[in-house]
Amino acid sequence: MSNETLPQLQAPLTINWAINNSCNFACSHCYSREDTHEELPRDVLYSSLEKVAKAGVFSINFGGGEPLLHPHLLEIAAFASGLGLRVSMNSNGWLIDQAKAAELKQAGFTKVGISIDSHRAEVHDSFRGVKGSHARALAALDHLREAGITTSISTVICRINSTTIDELVAVALDKRVGQLNFHNFKCSGLGMANKDDLDLTPAEWKDFYRAAIAAKHTVKDLDISLDDPIIALLDARDAGTLVKGSVCGKLSLNIKANGDMTPCGFIPIVIGNIVRDDLRQVWKDSAVLEKMRNKQPTGKCSGCSKYDDCLGGCTARALALTGDMNSPDPHCWGN
Amino acid sequence: MDITKKIRRNPDVMWREEDEALAGVQDSLDRGEVVEDVGTAVLFSGGTMLSINYLGLEIWKLCENRSLDEVVQELLSQFEVDESVLREDVQAFLDELSQKGFILYE
Ligand code: SF4
Repeated sequence: MSNETLPQLQAPLTINWAINNSCNFACSHCYSREDTHEELPRDVLYSSLEKVAKAGVFSINFGGGEPLLHPHLLEIAAFASGLGLRVSMNSNGWLIDQAKAAELKQAGFTKVGISIDSHRAEVHDSFRGVKGSHARALAALDHLREAGITTSISTVICRINSTTIDELVAVALDKRVGQLNFHNFKCSGLGMANKDDLDLTPAEWKDFYRAAIAAKHTVKDLDISLDDPIIALLDARDAGTLVKGSVCGKLSLNIKANGDMTPCGFIPIVIGNIVRDDLRQVWKDSAVLEKMRNKQPTGKCSGCSKYDDCLGGCTARALALTGDMNSPDPHCWGN
Repeated sequence: MDITKKIRRNPDVMWREEDEALAGVQDSLDRGEVVEDVGTAVLFSGGTMLSINYLGLEIWKLCENRSLDEVVQELLSQFEVDESVLREDVQAFLDELSQKGFILYE
């Protein structure tokens, strides 16, 4: 009675929503720094959230920018959770003290992810351009947990941290987070400009994933999440995963501060606007989403035995670096 | 497992019926076609996702303070099927839901 395949979903299950684009940090890998600063007025945002809830979306993950710099974040989150949406966010943690954590809980946040780039404070601080940010990010994890919010750590893997898996795991265990997310490096925004300094070579990616998968299998009491389809090359994708390849445009969608919808935060193609357009219609009819859902193997993917699982890897990365969604993921170390 | 125990959906599970898929299944059923492989709803909880077919959805909706026996009786009033086969299928499905944490037994 359960199926191997997903039905044609009428709407995304989850939406990553950048409600603002202001930030108090200056990270070298930021994908959105150069993005729009136009923000939706509160009443328009509210009616957009109503639209999203009505379309059947389960959850909203607020991002940005730094969502806590939005003056009305708490009211907006409370409004969204009042509509039955599950609300979470990603933050740099700077503004989360004990009182703020309690307010976030009150507003309905069930999960908050904090970005940590390194176990070493000086590395994290210099990468983020703000002294003391590491200490405050760690403190935020404590405040959130004590307020009853499930926490996670998000780490974008790049040159400064790819060989420190054990140390990052130790931080996650120490802070008793629910999940440690190792995100692949996307090469969008500043990530593209700083690619040569930050990105790993395919061989280094292979080493990183080998070690991360080993940690995933040995570390108890911590969910280590790897969202990169190319781990299919190491036979590490969970059997029975309903979605092959990237989940973007299949389960999730991204909305920018001005309401523009894009397949994911790292693909800068606008496929509609939440204020103007019907979400279900865009989800169903967008030619861009259609292309992402029906990728065709090109180049080395054509003969690859992992294609059914991997579907050419991360579509955002392929598009950013080659201009073609169907190109093999540039991080792929396969032949 | 005690078959008299009441079953409850885990309140943490987010789920929705997929209207279009469901409408398609209704049409197929009217034409007498097999619809077992067609997902009509998705359930999602804590990173686990499940796609369920038409009968799975009916059972899922009945998991509201009913025992296994009561679920089976409800279904028997809707579908013309052999009771023992149905009971086995329902039991297997409920086991899967329970193992994934989607339902709870009181
Ligand atoms: S060759 Fe293509 S399909 Fe195969 S693992 Fe690499 S990116 Fe994935």
